Amino acid sequence: MSTLLRSTAFRIALVFATALVATTYLVFALVYFEVYTGNVALVRSVLRDEATKARDAPVETLRRQLELRLTQDLRHIDYVGLYDAAGRETFGNVAPALRIPVDGATHLVRTAPPQPDAWQSENAIFVAERRADGGTLVLGRSLVYVDQLAGAMQRAFAAAIVPIVVLALIVGTIVSMRALRRLNAIQQAITRVMQGELEVRLPARGSSDDVDELVRAVNRMLDEIVRLLAQIKSVGDNIAHDLRAPLAVMRARLERGLAGSSEAQLRHLAGEALGDLERAMTTVTALLRISELENGLRRKAFAPLDLAAVCRDAFDLFEPLGEAKGLTMMLVAPAPVPVSGDGDLMREAIANLIDNAIKFTPAGGTVHVEAGLDAALVRVRDDGPGIAPHERERILKRFYRAESARDVPGVGLGLSMATTIVELHGFELRVGDARPGAVFDIVAGRAAAAAVAS
Amino acid sequence: MTAASRPIYLYEDDSALAGEIVAGFAEAGLVIRPLPSEAEVMERAGAEGPSATLVMDRMIGDRDSLEIVAALRATGNRVPVLVISSRASVDDRIEGLKAGGDDYLVKPFAMGELIARVAALQRRADGEPRTRLVVGPLVLDRLARTVTRGSREIALLPREFSLLDYLMTHAGQTVTRAMLLEDVWNYRASTHTNVVDVHVGNLRRKIDAEGEPRLIASVRGLGFRLDATPHDGE
Repeated sequence: MSTLLRSTAFRIALVFATALVATTYLVFALVYFEVYTGNVALVRSVLRDEATKARDAPVETLRRQLELRLTQDLRHIDYVGLYDAAGRETFGNVAPALRIPVDGATHLVRTAPPQPDAWQSENAIFVAERRADGGTLVLGRSLVYVDQLAGAMQRAFAAAIVPIVVLALIVGTIVSMRALRRLNAIQQAITRVMQGELEVRLPARGSSDDVDELVRAVNRMLDEIVRLLAQIKSVGDNIAHDLRAPLAVMRARLERGLAGSSEAQLRHLAGEALGDLERAMTTVTALLRISELENGLRRKAFAPLDLAAVCRDAFDLFEPLGEAKGLTMMLVAPAPVPVSGDGDLMREAIANLIDNAIKFTPAGGTVHVEAGLDAALVRVRDDGPGIAPHERERILKRFYRAESARDVPGVGLGLSMATTIVELHGFELRVGDARPGAVFDIVAGRAAAAAVAS
Repeated sequence: MTAASRPIYLYEDDSALAGEIVAGFAEAGLVIRPLPSEAEVMERAGAEGPSATLVMDRMIGDRDSLEIVAALRATGNRVPVLVISSRASVDDRIEGLKAGGDDYLVKPFAMGELIARVAALQRRADGEPRTRLVVGPLVLDRLARTVTRGSREIALLPREFSLLDYLMTHAGQTVTRAMLLEDVWNYRASTHTNVVDVHVGNLRRKIDAEGEPRLIASVRGLGFRLDATPHDGE
């Protein structure tokens, strides 16, 4: 119980109930005030009128009227008093002690009841009028019924207020408990997330109220955090994995060198071990760079850039490599392709695509590098074995190497790097079929990508 | 003043790495003197200016030593500075060069790479731009864009011309593949391919005619060196 009293739900309900009681009280008070003042005003005006009318009436007539009035007054609320010019009472039921100013105006007076057996005093309105014959007429009416009405209203208020308070507390507690239960569920989910259960999501009700909107936003944030964590983890895993292989070879080589007797052999093996180390370092550097790029940190270095010129640079660098392998290298970049970007990075991305094409195209094949096509900003196309449709998505991922590429040297980071760089620029890298061969297109904007990759 | 007699200073708080660097330079016949404090760095650099070369770690304790470089540059000091750093990100590199560093080398590096880059910095400090490079029988005319070996004229593609220019500018010095990629091809990423070797191979075929001694030597695990005194291939 004490927990209920302290609970937020109950406190909200209490405030709710208090507000309801105050409102109800105000309504009652207003009605009470209106009824009371209205009734009193009515009594005042009736008495005043009657007294005025009776001023000139003959004494006998008046007296009969007054007798009739008292006879008909079954509720015993009327007071009459008729006095002669000398001030003696000739008829009436007004207590002699009562002194009403003879001014024709009404007065609120506290009086004893007209019946001797009634013990209560009561409020009444009195008027005293000087008559034409010199006498005085006193008329009065008890307000006991008005007061009883007011009392009834007070009792009604008192009777109503209890169920109102109870009802307000119950309804308020239930409603706020439901709201709080939701918050509690959210709170518990957050606690679980904080304790490391990153797969937990905050409960949404499926409605579209504010809380649900917030819950969905937080859930999206959690998704993104989980994705980033997974990415960091995969970077770490990949680094560890890719370091282990060359380190193992290195270790074996160095052991062999130390075990052997010839210094020349040791030198040779140490040299090879250095090569392994170099390879491992290159991979680590590349992986860290991909992560760095994926964080989008470099966008600040963007400047106007001609992709055609970038293609020429990259082509220049790799052309001899292709020719040395017996490939025909073709560059078509007739007109500038202005974009906003980072020259170093785009050079690297395009170089990676060209490098990739050279690697996977057998001798006698052709590698085309084209800039400024309608369908793509840059296209690198070869007539090699191509890429099977089910592998096209995956080859852009880190470390993935197509089935057909197992015997080609490399660490499988080039295309991943290219994808990262291209996406950092807001472009898209699409893989298609050149029939025969593979085609890689750098397409402007993800939206403008419908009619590419023939 | 020959390059070898120019003082080289090292500001590095990792004593193991500093020791290796000193030993590596000694093996190459060079002396690199470690400096103990920032005050010493400022004093030496102030005294000797561009005739010295400074190799400096990016992080000394928890202080970014680029601030030292920036302070030097603010006083108009042009001492060549090579920054070594374990911060490999492209932005870090750009920051390093912007602050006034002349070259940026990421840990871990091959000792040969560091020595080659320091030598290149010393050479760069020599400064005066030449229109004609002469190395042994090889003459490169930057204005006419012609190359001759002895009496024989050699036709080169533009990139081959730039490559030879770079090798001749750094004649007698080892230039690494990374240096060539950066300075000749403007390519700042590492590559697993032997693309530089292919370019150098093509250049060799053009400048070394049948029977002539090879001018460009391969330096194992590091890069290439063009020498005035020709030597027979490896």
